[in-house]
Amino acid sequence: MAAAAATAAAKGNGGGGGRAGAGDAVRGPGRRPDDLPREAHPGRPGSDGERRQPRWLVIAVGLVRAYLAKGSYHSLYYSIEKPLKFFQTGALLEILHCAIGIVPSSVVLTSFQVMSRVFLIWAVTHSVKEVQSEDSVLLFVIAWTITEIIRYSFYTFSLLNHLPYLIKWARYTLFIVLYPMGVSGELLTIYAALPFVRQAGLYSISLPNKYNFSFDYHAFLILIMISYIPIFPQLYFHMIHQRRKILSHTEEHKKFE
Amino acid sequence: SKHPDPLHTLREVEILDAKTREKLCFLDKVGPEHGLHWAKDPQWYPARQSLRLDPKGKSLKDEDVLQKLPVGTTATLYFRDLGAQISWVTVFLTEYAGPLFIYLLFYFRVPFIYGHKYDFTSSRHTVVHLACICHSFHYVKRLLETLFVHRFSHGTMPLRNIFKNCTYYWGFAAWMAYYINHPLYTPPTYGAQQVKLALAIFVICQLGNFSIHMALRDLRPAGSKTRKIPYPTKNPFTWLFLLVSCPNYTYEVGSWIGFAIMTQCLPVALFSLVGFTQMTIWAKGKHRSYLKEFRDYPPLRMPIIPFLL
Repeated sequence: MAAAAATAAAKGNGGGGGRAGAGDAVRGPGRRPDDLPREAHPGRPGSDGERRQPRWLVIAVGLVRAYLAKGSYHSLYYSIEKPLKFFQTGALLEILHCAIGIVPSSVVLTSFQVMSRVFLIWAVTHSVKEVQSEDSVLLFVIAWTITEIIRYSFYTFSLLNHLPYLIKWARYTLFIVLYPMGVSGELLTIYAALPFVRQAGLYSISLPNKYNFSFDYHAFLILIMISYIPIFPQLYFHMIHQRRKILSHTEEHKKFE
Repeated sequence: SKHPDPLHTLREVEILDAKTREKLCFLDKVGPEHGLHWAKDPQWYPARQSLRLDPKGKSLKDEDVLQKLPVGTTATLYFRDLGAQISWVTVFLTEYAGPLFIYLLFYFRVPFIYGHKYDFTSSRHTVVHLACICHSFHYVKRLLETLFVHRFSHGTMPLRNIFKNCTYYWGFAAWMAYYINHPLYTPPTYGAQQVKLALAIFVICQLGNFSIHMALRDLRPAGSKTRKIPYPTKNPFTWLFLLVSCPNYTYEVGSWIGFAIMTQCLPVALFSLVGFTQMTIWAKGKHRSYLKEFRDYPPLRMPIIPFLL
């Protein structure tokens, strides 16, 4: 218990840095993306929950303020673009955390999730400017934001050994709506990007060339979309299975109290 | 004498499930000379049944007899169902026959791969013909080695491995063959010089790989499953044993690097890289088990790359 608290305290600095960033970043859509400050200490150690929770709040608050200020959500992407890119790419560190064991999730599942998000942000949304005003972008950003706020609260409270049942419930229940929501947003965004990718020949290389290699990004994106069909149900039902296991386990504990 | 005589003591054997520890079977009056095949359940084939002294331990071999095992008068064995099994020979033959055949489909440009105007045409580049000969030779060699050279220590592997392995070999063969035999294929930048050098590397490494396979075969007499440290022989290709534990893998990587340089084809380079990664994992494992098993294992040896890896 003391060790966990000490660890949490030692790693608390990261959370502070995040909060400082939050105040500056949220100035509404009037600011051009270049004006947004960058997080000064990306490598600072910190527990996942404490360090990362504020960043998703940054994005959430950014979204809300931008909407209120502009009255529409089409330029939303520009308001949250920089923090979204920075923090979600920083999530690559999470794979490392799983690998070295300080977070109890599986390396494979976490890699999968982080890679797919990094891919969506950089290889699709950033690369194909035309999809940035799509509603589907909003859909997955909202889904990811809510999911991550809950997930990191869960980790934080778990680390402090004081996990309210509500957080546990939220983590293992809200995904039922948020997963399909996120997946729909992702698929629709990729689908929207397809014609622009084909037109521009984006990230594609054709024969003949010196290294006798070719790559069709358009076809690749279609393959990615198809891969959701076997993969998404597995992840979804894994979470449902986890839900049954963990929430019923808690019920039994409560009976004995 | 007062001490129990292991040669003549009858034993009791209880068999528990390795996962649930449930008692599956109890055998009494088991003679010491009884081997494990006697303890296996006839309703499944023996290769699929694993019996072991420790639930998480290594499987015992069928030839192990009770008197040689470290058990008292009551032996406890743990049973595990390994799932559907398939013989190593079958897997090897299938996974190697595929690339041989598939590459030729692309080489001869059978319809529906490239545009119709290219059906059954032939490349005008010498290197493309050479590459076909090398690739085909490589897999014919592997098939023949599987049939006549290799001595496998395990009879079987899990059935799902054949799907995994064939996807890998067949998939990469098709991918490489597509580009090398493509009508728009670009020959190597440095022309004939590059091809000749690469061919030399390929041939030397193929000979090396074959020499190592023969040396390993001679290490183990027919029908036996004994393990010995391999040493260099009169064949100069085996002198690589001085520096590495698994020179067969070293030569294999060398062959594919040669092939990649010869064809100057990125997919071939990627295939070599993936193969190298896998073989390094295997080599490290083998190296570790040599070190564990033999106290006097030569210290200079590295697993796969001399001095480095």
